[in-house]
Amino acid sequence: MKTEVIKRAPLSSATLHILLALARADLHGYGIIKEVARNSDGHYRLGPGTLYDNLKKLMVAGLVADAPTPSASKRKSASIKEDDRRLYTLTKAGGDTLAAEVERLQGVVSKARLRLQEAKAGRA
Amino acid sequence: MKRSISRFAYRLLLGLHPASFQEEFGDEMLWIFEEEYKPGNAGYLLFDGTVSLLRQRCRIQSDPGQLSIASGAIITGPGIGPIRLLQATITISVILFSLMQLVGQSNPFTVSVRWADRMPCYTVTLQAPSHAEVILGTMP
Repeated sequence: MKTEVIKRAPLSSATLHILLALARADLHGYGIIKEVARNSDGHYRLGPGTLYDNLKKLMVAGLVADAPTPSASKRKSASIKEDDRRLYTLTKAGGDTLAAEVERLQGVVSKARLRLQEAKAGRA
Repeated sequence: MKRSISRFAYRLLLGLHPASFQEEFGDEMLWIFEEEYKPGNAGYLLFDGTVSLLRQRCRIQSDPGQLSIASGAIITGPGIGPIRLLQATITISVILFSLMQLVGQSNPFTVSVRWADRMPCYTVTLQAPSHAEVILGTMP
């Protein structure tokens, strides 16, 4: 039910960037931050607070899940070590939501191009 | 010295988050703080941590996720009244000012309240000049 709602609604920038980053590969938190910076050529910056707030919501909505790793059961240990980093993965519902959002954005871009062409023709 | 103070302030912010959130993400947030920390970056990380604290504490419990994801706003919906929103704004202003004083930076944040001309609604925002504007709340 929640997934259906999210499919219809425009995603926030943070949500879109996180889903986009995870579409490429399973990543840990810092990996997502770096991937988002890379995808946006450094124009969009995601802080740890914003990242985990959104990850929590996405996990509740079933769009992102823990990636199966051997150390997943140990992730509640006191400190984060190299092997204990928690990996996140895009679920099928997450992939569908991302695809729906990309389709929506394509529609917006198409309409925007059409309007700009009309405006240009009107000026000529 | 400044790094240790910033780390202490960040730990303090994490400690104020709800226990379940701390347990699930606290270590990872601290790890990213350590990785991302640079002398000119402390203000942004503390700002982000403070906004995260507000989000976690003020989120509408009845329907987490749906409204925030749909609108892109951090706090939204009919569950937060104007008084609570004003309290949150004052609290975050005081916290940020104190943290900036603590890490020896001038306060780079501005708090603004905007009322729409024709519609009975207003928006409270926090803005850091070099970073994204954060909408604290939009009230119908």
